[in-house]
Amino acid sequence: MHGRVKLKSTAQQEEEKKKEREKKLKIYVATRDACFSKRKESICDDEALQLTQQLLSSNPDFATLWNYRREILMHLETVKDEDEIQKVYISELSFLESCLKVNPKSYGSWHHRGWVSARLPRPDWARELSLCDRCLSLDDRNFHCWDYRRMVVKMSGVPVDQELAFTDRLIGSNFSNYSSWHYRSTLLPLLHPESPEPPSPCREPPHSSLPPSPQTHSHRVCEEQLLKEYELVQNAFFTDPNDQSAWFYYRWLLGRAEREEMISCVYVSREEERVAVAFSRPVNAQSVGLLLVLDGQPQRVEWTSVHPRFKHSPVWICALPPGTISDITNEHNLTVHWTEKHTHRDCALYTGRSESWCRDSATDQELFRSELSVEKTSVLQSELQSCNQLQELEPLNKWCLLTIILLMRALDPLGYEKETLAHFQTLKEVDSMRCAYYSDLCSKFMIENTILKMEYAEVRVFSISDKNLTTLCHLDQLLLVTHINLSSNQLQRLPPQFAMLQCLEVLEADNNSIESLEGVYHLPKLEEVLLKNNKISTLADLQPLASCPRLKRLDLRGNPVTQTANIESELAELLPSVTDLLL
Amino acid sequence: MFPLQLLYFYVWIMSLGLAESVVAAAFSRVGQRVLHVDRRSYYAANWASFTFNGLLTWIQQHHVKEAQDWSSLLEEGEELIYLSNSKSESDSISNVQVFSVFHPTTQASQTEGEEPEADQPTTSAAQSQSEPIKKKISYPQLLKEGRRFNIDLVSKLMYSRGSLVDLLIKSNVSRYAEFKNVTRILTYRHGKVQQVPCSRADVFASRQLSVVEKRKLMRFLTSCMEETEEQQAYNGRPYLEFLCDQQLGDNLQDFLLHSIAMVTEDTPTEEGLTSTRHFLRCLGRYGNTPFLFPVYGLGEIPQCFCRMCAVFGGIYCLRHSVNCLVMDKETNRCKAVIDSRGQRISCSHFVVEEDKCVSVCLSVCLSCCLFRSLSRAVLITDGSILPSDSDQQVSMVTVPPIAAGCPAVKMVELCSSTMTCMPGTYLVHLTCQSVGSAYEDLSPVVTRMFHTPESHDQENCPSVLWCLYFNMADGSGLEAEGHNLPSNVYMCSGPDGGLGHEHAIKQAESIFQKILPEEDFCPPAPNPEDIIYDGDNTSSSSS
Repeated sequence: MHGRVKLKSTAQQEEEKKKEREKKLKIYVATRDACFSKRKESICDDEALQLTQQLLSSNPDFATLWNYRREILMHLETVKDEDEIQKVYISELSFLESCLKVNPKSYGSWHHRGWVSARLPRPDWARELSLCDRCLSLDDRNFHCWDYRRMVVKMSGVPVDQELAFTDRLIGSNFSNYSSWHYRSTLLPLLHPESPEPPSPCREPPHSSLPPSPQTHSHRVCEEQLLKEYELVQNAFFTDPNDQSAWFYYRWLLGRAEREEMISCVYVSREEERVAVAFSRPVNAQSVGLLLVLDGQPQRVEWTSVHPRFKHSPVWICALPPGTISDITNEHNLTVHWTEKHTHRDCALYTGRSESWCRDSATDQELFRSELSVEKTSVLQSELQSCNQLQELEPLNKWCLLTIILLMRALDPLGYEKETLAHFQTLKEVDSMRCAYYSDLCSKFMIENTILKMEYAEVRVFSISDKNLTTLCHLDQLLLVTHINLSSNQLQRLPPQFAMLQCLEVLEADNNSIESLEGVYHLPKLEEVLLKNNKISTLADLQPLASCPRLKRLDLRGNPVTQTANIESELAELLPSVTDLLL
Repeated sequence: MFPLQLLYFYVWIMSLGLAESVVAAAFSRVGQRVLHVDRRSYYAANWASFTFNGLLTWIQQHHVKEAQDWSSLLEEGEELIYLSNSKSESDSISNVQVFSVFHPTTQASQTEGEEPEADQPTTSAAQSQSEPIKKKISYPQLLKEGRRFNIDLVSKLMYSRGSLVDLLIKSNVSRYAEFKNVTRILTYRHGKVQQVPCSRADVFASRQLSVVEKRKLMRFLTSCMEETEEQQAYNGRPYLEFLCDQQLGDNLQDFLLHSIAMVTEDTPTEEGLTSTRHFLRCLGRYGNTPFLFPVYGLGEIPQCFCRMCAVFGGIYCLRHSVNCLVMDKETNRCKAVIDSRGQRISCSHFVVEEDKCVSVCLSVCLSCCLFRSLSRAVLITDGSILPSDSDQQVSMVTVPPIAAGCPAVKMVELCSSTMTCMPGTYLVHLTCQSVGSAYEDLSPVVTRMFHTPESHDQENCPSVLWCLYFNMADGSGLEAEGHNLPSNVYMCSGPDGGLGHEHAIKQAESIFQKILPEEDFCPPAPNPEDIIYDGDNTSSSSS
């Protein structure tokens, strides 16, 4: 039409672009070849700097060229004086800035910048910090920049409080960025460390006489600051309860100190002439310097884990030399030293006793107050209140529910058991993708509760039937249990850890879905195994039972294996000790 | 001057306002010849921005010309319609009042070399003031730094997803301007200025909301984006009632009603929800608030479109009055215009400015909108109404009616980095639908929120150094349809009272589509390298 501006057609434009691209490629390839040949001849001149700069500005991820550039720069350092070098590096930094504009996430550019900054004779760290701030304001998840920033902060010694203010700013602009929260969690213990004396005696750990190990306290933050942090993080999860960053940080705030490493239990059996030792965490007893002293005499014994599958285990056993303690009229004193940790535990076997043990009563605080809480009860209580408030507004929020469960466990695991179970039920419904995870977690908590009840009752019977258990855990705590009842749960296996029940005599596990008995392994006292209505389908599945010398009674009714031909004779051959077999 | 009567124009446009400029750009862009004129000496008509000195001149403008008889230029079967431009200025702008805190005597002694007449009619209030306030910034300084001001006659903001922003992007006109984010939304409640938390980050950082309020607010904002049956049940009932039933509490209710939906207490629910959604959709596109503001003031925007028009061949004439339209009596079509120099300019289509006189002459019934007007105030202050870490905040402030029967006031506070005022000052615009004169409507708000000669106990508030009140005709009453206009004459209204620019852009688009329904409205302008210039054609294809 008349008067209209004439435009190139798209085909024309494409054609032009194509030609341009070809031209560019030709130049690029030629320059690259020139660079490579120069490097082969180890030429470190200005032209090489020019050529690599040309290539890297269009492709900053060409690592070889950055290396070549560093070679050239290092060569220049040997021939130029400091002022000149300073100039060269300053121009290198501004070149890098242009590269970062092209690709703010180029590994090569950031690495080179770190290298240059470290070699710069007179670095300007303030400038580097402001560069990082600019980059992070454009993309607060640029981890290259975070890394570089950490280096700058370290090299220039930025005060911690300034860095904390920096995280304030970042969290203020976007509280969904976990990098900022995490950084905060590394700064707070430095700036506001927990006072060395616990502020209140009511939550003192049971071993108050022992000096607190460094691990117990180094990551903690003083209470005054913690209260401020609780407020901050609550603002975040009330604003957006579906954002996990804030919840993770919250859990870190509530987190408890690591457990002290120690020998938690020593058990000795006169009859079997064995010693079992339980540790507060899985160890490899063969390499931690475990020393057994019997009546003042160090003994040469061989420690074995309860199951050949474990190189690390919380429970280890050893056989004493035959005859050392078999006389029932003798009294024996036994000490197990954990030389590596400078800790030990004594155990006395009195006259007339067939077995003996020594341990701390497994108080709730020390063992199971979930992952939360070295906090005061009052603090936890008020945190629980705010979470409940949020839950009223957002009844289906999984993060909130899970945190409430953890807080309840930290406060009073038995008292809140009913509510905990109800919340787990809701969790499984609203987050069905993680249904199995919640089932396992719930099983863990139910087992903890049952252990607590058992401890309070001071019995050696562990009964947890009909609780929808899907997994077994804390089995190291059951070292002394003689009778276990797992009936009517949803267990599929008795895992290798089950072999830690070294005193077990009766195993009741009717009405589960057990397919594997792997953990019923070398249990010296086991006499009775009741497995009615499970899913044991082959004779091979029963093989582990053959390692239990005293097994007399076995109930296999309602298992597929009973349909096997010649089952009775096969079993008689496999388990000769069994006298009472129910099929 | 080039004899315009020798040229043919497809469309003749009478004023340089926003809608007119968009229309001009749209026609020019698709290759139509555009003649864009204005009797004024500046761009953007009533949408203009002025330097301080320019504004003083604008205030003084009251010249009247006598209408002349142009019947000798008529051909047979034609009649004249006078567009009596002489009075139009006073028609669309009225009740101009200026106040200044500067003491008249110090002023007189210090303004040597400046234009002393500029402030003479304006300082009556200051003269009655007993104790002159010592200010760092003096009146001569204001005059001296006057060019640092870009004071808009209209006060609007650009919604990040509004039709103006969409159009600027689509047409590439955005390349002619720069923009700044409005950085915060404020409101005036219980005698205090408060920040309205509207984005996620704001809600998180807010100190005035409890955590439960935060959750309720966020939940409401998320849930109202979707239409629900619950909402539909409130159709026709006031939005306030809907908000009440959400159990949000007074704080949140006020924020949502006045500052986010920006509606009144009797606005129906569906309308309230629509504007709430629009606000939320605009949020986060460019920053933490839904609004942008053009650097150097809103007057830039019409100029950007004019520039686009000129790039594609449009012709511009400022200070070019047009006296009459030449009508064909039989067809009721307009054939030409006659300008003040007596040139007869022939065109196919005519876009005129909405104006009382024009309307009367064209026997257009605008009774509904004739007397509606906007009350405006412009203040130059020495501090922000809510000081914060940064002194470069751009704030949108909603002021709910301070008493029954009072209008809700929209206020925009601009800092010097928007290039609309000199460093150390803030430029504050107040706008509301007129109930009385601008002074009657807005001075109560100004006295409460600022330290002025009339206010008491406002020592902590920023002081008003200078202020201007005026009324402007409200262009929102004009409906594009249903006028008794000649079939090839189209009317553009002046600025409307809305916060956004939807009205003007919609109007421009509908005029364009009426004339050229087949053509694309403001397609993207091509990149310079893709344009084929004469003679370039062969060389580019052969190479």
